[in-house]
Amino acid sequence: MAAVRRGCPCGPASPQSSSTTLQADMAKYMAKTVLLLLFCQGIHADTTTSPESDPVVTTRKAAPKGQGQVIIEELAILTPQYIELLCNLTDIPNNPPYMTGYWTKDGKEIENSEETINRNNAQYILKKTFSIQARDLGNYSCVFRENDARVTFVLQVPVMKDKRDKPVVSYIGDSVVLVCKLKHMPNTWNWYKANNTEKELINVTADPLKYKILLNGNETKLTVLNLTEAQSGKYICSAEFDIKASESQVELKVLSYTEPLKPFVAIVAEVLLLVTLICLWEKCSKPKHSSSTADDVYSEQTSKLTHDESNGVENNTTRQRKLEH
Amino acid sequence: MPPSASTNLGYTPPDGGWGWAVVFGSFISIGFSYAFPKSLTIYFKEIQEYFSISYSQIAWVSSIMLATMYAGGPVSSILVNRYGSRPVVIAGGLMVGVAMVTASFGTSILHLYLCVGVIGGFGLAFNLQPALTIIGKYFLVKRPMANGIAMAGSPVFLSTLAPVNQFLFDQFGWRGSFFILGGVLFNCCVAGSLMRPIKIPVSKTTEDNISPQTAGQDESKPSGCSSKLNQFIDISLFKHRGFLIYLVGNVLMFFGFFAPVVFLAPYAKHQGVDEYSAAFLLSIFALVDMFARPGTGLVANTKWIRPKIQYFFSFAVTYNGLCHLMCPLLPGYIDLVVYAVLFGLAFGMVCALLFEVLMDLVGAQRFSSAVGLATIIECGPVLLGPPISGLLVDIFMDYKYMYFACGMMMLAGGVFLFIMNYYNYRWLKKEEKQRNAEELQIFSTKELAAIDEEIKLSIEEKLKD
Repeated sequence: MAAVRRGCPCGPASPQSSSTTLQADMAKYMAKTVLLLLFCQGIHADTTTSPESDPVVTTRKAAPKGQGQVIIEELAILTPQYIELLCNLTDIPNNPPYMTGYWTKDGKEIENSEETINRNNAQYILKKTFSIQARDLGNYSCVFRENDARVTFVLQVPVMKDKRDKPVVSYIGDSVVLVCKLKHMPNTWNWYKANNTEKELINVTADPLKYKILLNGNETKLTVLNLTEAQSGKYICSAEFDIKASESQVELKVLSYTEPLKPFVAIVAEVLLLVTLICLWEKCSKPKHSSSTADDVYSEQTSKLTHDESNGVENNTTRQRKLEH
Repeated sequence: MPPSASTNLGYTPPDGGWGWAVVFGSFISIGFSYAFPKSLTIYFKEIQEYFSISYSQIAWVSSIMLATMYAGGPVSSILVNRYGSRPVVIAGGLMVGVAMVTASFGTSILHLYLCVGVIGGFGLAFNLQPALTIIGKYFLVKRPMANGIAMAGSPVFLSTLAPVNQFLFDQFGWRGSFFILGGVLFNCCVAGSLMRPIKIPVSKTTEDNISPQTAGQDESKPSGCSSKLNQFIDISLFKHRGFLIYLVGNVLMFFGFFAPVVFLAPYAKHQGVDEYSAAFLLSIFALVDMFARPGTGLVANTKWIRPKIQYFFSFAVTYNGLCHLMCPLLPGYIDLVVYAVLFGLAFGMVCALLFEVLMDLVGAQRFSSAVGLATIIECGPVLLGPPISGLLVDIFMDYKYMYFACGMMMLAGGVFLFIMNYYNYRWLKKEEKQRNAEELQIFSTKELAAIDEEIKLSIEEKLKD
């Protein structure tokens, strides 16, 4: 699925040329390519078997594009195995009767890997079976010499994607939980503490009060209890597969309680200062305010009184007028 | 000015001067109240690992805090009615600060529920209600503007607290961060100290302020335990026509109000947008919201909108609903950006006017009781809305039904408010006319009585002569 997505072009951005049509056509073909991915743990059968293989072989197909456009396939290898890598080149203009292709490992051409490929129904299939042991893991590329079309297969143990690049922070006397997760389940998990360049295995039975390890298939949790400052440093979780181990490291920082206390005290001091300032301002402006409010009260009351009085005055005048008349 | 109870203050609010400092204090209080529970989600993953619990268990912390903040409304109102805004806000600030500091030493998730959720929630409730109430005491003419500025605190604080929380987490872990956040929350006390009690003239108006609900009591004449309750909080509000309209409209609206915000980023990711662009959508939304709130306050303050502010609010709610109905029809990323901008505008408009229209309906005197009662009733739809929407998404495996449902709820609320407010305005005008006619009658009978008196006096004098 990954190859199919990568193969899809982003849009017709390049100028018209025969190579572009080739790319476009190959891209179209790419979209229709179906990838077979079969994992064998050495027991069950798969659908494609090479004629010479007795052990079961995994096949991986991909179709290269020319003109330096690189297609990358990531393969997770768990056990030592034979793997057949297949590159399928199509839609070459002129349809030459044969093409030459070779393989590279980590950028260096593999000796005696060059072969001539005959045309087969407008397809050129370059394939090779590799025996993969721990030392054989790396980047394998098939290259077609004529148009430099290539596919790179990255053969590696499963890599832990969600790494934490920032250190985990905890406090003296507290505990902390470090987690490692993988998509594929390893045989077992191991935790190490790194001391400069040395790796020291963490043994729960030796230190049951300090460490707890939880193994839960795809993930593992290391709980470090009763932290001390000396326990800061790098912790490495290692997923053990048959072929090799996959590692990821996380850094632990153990702080003392005085660390967050400093900003806390600073902020509380700021709060107290501001509250004091505001109260002082209020007290300072109070004498002016109190006199004005007294005036206000006075003016309020007087205005009320004048209202009543005016009513009374009006009555008086009307009465007087009545009397006069 | 609408013919409502807004002029029954008994004094002329300053509409400026120290009032702007009070608005700043309210800005801080409202900002912490709304933004803080949402900003805590950054710590959840770490706390989840630490206590070995599921995500829904840790998400309860935020939910309990929000629920307590809304449910604590009536308690807050009672305290504000008795003691005024300032002591309550200072007490609230102390409560929430101490709650966070205690939570940083917590040894189980229950501690967090109690400290952060319950005590923290009450602390925030003691910040929110008084902050809203005191604006009504200081402003009348410029009140929509003041409300808009104060409510802008929520998006500003959310945008600020998110990176600050991330920084604190990277430096100090969750315990240290909670400890320091406790200190930060003590700044609510600073906001509280700004909320100077208004210097009202001493005369008969003080009686009104101490027991504003006496007016309500005269109207309803309750008996027994309801009259005792009325001493603390104005229950007669439930007979107030405007308040009931507001409640029903808001309950309908809140069912569909917060869910689209919660699901904006997941919906974008579902449409194939990458994580950073989805987060950017939320930033756009928050930015537009930030400016829409004071902008709406400014618009609502104009002489054309102010008398008919209830219609403006109904329009904002309806516009919100229409936005959500259109959202599922927009496929691309650019369309989603446009939606985020329009939604931000709609959200800001509704939030800015939310409490202004309540003040407009019940008047500043009864506002503190009204807001307490309103928040505890709105508690239900606010908390149920996002989970029900989530359920809709899970059942139909598609976001568009959730958007339709939210849009329909808000449209229903908006249309209801429109229609009912039209009638309410008409009835209020009729009642005002009646009142004027009665006053005229009373005045004319008084005049007649006075003339009678004069005639009698003059006859007596003539007889004496």
